[in-house]
Amino acid sequence: MAFLKAAGLTISITAISLLFATLIGTIFAGFKISSSKLLNRIADLYIGVIRGTPLIVQIMFLYYGLANFLTLDSFTAGALALGVHTGAYIAEIFRGSVQSVDRGQMEAARSLGMPYFLAMRRIIFPQAFKRSIPALANQFIISLKDSSLVAYIAVTDLYSVALSVQGENYMPFETFFVVGIYYLIIVLIFTWFANRIEGKLDVSKPKEVAIP
Amino acid sequence: MITVKGLSKSFGQLEVLKQVDLTVAEKEVVVLIGASGSGKSTLLRCLNFLEVSEKGEITIDSERVELTKKKTDLNAVRQKVGMVFQHFNLFPHKTVLENIIEAPVFVKKEKKEVASAKAMDLLAKVGLADKANYYPEQLSGGQKQRVAIARALAMEPKVMLFDEPTSALDPELVGEVLQVMKDLARDGMTMVIVTHEMGFAREVADRVIMLADGNIIEEGHPGEIFARPKHERTQRFLNQIL
Repeated sequence: MAFLKAAGLTISITAISLLFATLIGTIFAGFKISSSKLLNRIADLYIGVIRGTPLIVQIMFLYYGLANFLTLDSFTAGALALGVHTGAYIAEIFRGSVQSVDRGQMEAARSLGMPYFLAMRRIIFPQAFKRSIPALANQFIISLKDSSLVAYIAVTDLYSVALSVQGENYMPFETFFVVGIYYLIIVLIFTWFANRIEGKLDVSKPKEVAIP
Repeated sequence: MITVKGLSKSFGQLEVLKQVDLTVAEKEVVVLIGASGSGKSTLLRCLNFLEVSEKGEITIDSERVELTKKKTDLNAVRQKVGMVFQHFNLFPHKTVLENIIEAPVFVKKEKKEVASAKAMDLLAKVGLADKANYYPEQLSGGQKQRVAIARALAMEPKVMLFDEPTSALDPELVGEVLQVMKDLARDGMTMVIVTHEMGFAREVADRVIMLADGNIIEEGHPGEIFARPKHERTQRFLNQIL
């Protein structure tokens, strides 16, 4: 079935772009938290430009606009554009959650002689990551749906297949209804996983601790 | 053990510490008192370099830190100085035992089993051996603070700093924390304490130091200071809180 195969492609382009976005997001969140003015500026520039322009423009620019300098196949271009785009939002999510951790946590870690990056890794990030999960899950869902825009650079994802099927059968109601259901199911499955992970990481609810 | 020379610290326009000199001998217990805003907490935090002051020199256990130079390895100096905070600052995502072994294992590279065994001894010392596998939020305030003390002791510091360790506690829980601190003083730990517990200061302190407006205005044996304060501001301060 064309739809099923396309759904696989939608999932894989989203997954790859999110992996990439999480990596960029982590790096730029680090830049924003850093005390270096230069790194702050670089992060602000990246986040400002990416958030300030539409994803479809970014996709088109990367695939067609840069075609003279950079030849990417449509899947790579789509995944890259989506990753760079989502990375900006994830950077802000991570920055916010790191800064929401009480200052006393860093002070306690440093007072024990832990160097800055060790304290970040062992003490701050685990607490921040847990707090970022609801916003992160939200962002992942947005990205999954935004991935439909790669249809415009000829990636045969769900939405692109829906467009061509509808062009042949002239049944827009049935076609878009079905493709909507596909997206919905993927999002529901993902949401279920996200909730489970959040539950598992919930440190405010103690794990099975025996109270004698 | 600690020598402070000409320590100054400002937050923006506000000068919090003005050319403070301070010496703390080995095994001495020093209590810092003073009104809010007098600079006592800032002074304490400077001793652990949580506040980095712009002028002055601090020597801890013969390791000299010139504050104008950035080169000193503060992490090494900090290992010699244990700090206990008003709000405990335990790591909420770790159990009591994990809180205590975190720094020994990851900073001092102790083996986990060795660090755990030491941690259990420390927990026994603060009377919480049965709480090793609890999470901080399952403990009372007094228990949290005792864990925080054990956590600081696990790094085997030369000096312990206490920043209002009982101010966030319910009144009935203050005693258990002070008792642990008394035991520590009796065992010969060098301690600098910011507190409003004057009864404790009278009983345990070797010296009481009164700060006002970023200056040390009076210091002496607690019996002396509490009975016959010389400075007018010390008199006023003691009248207000006693």
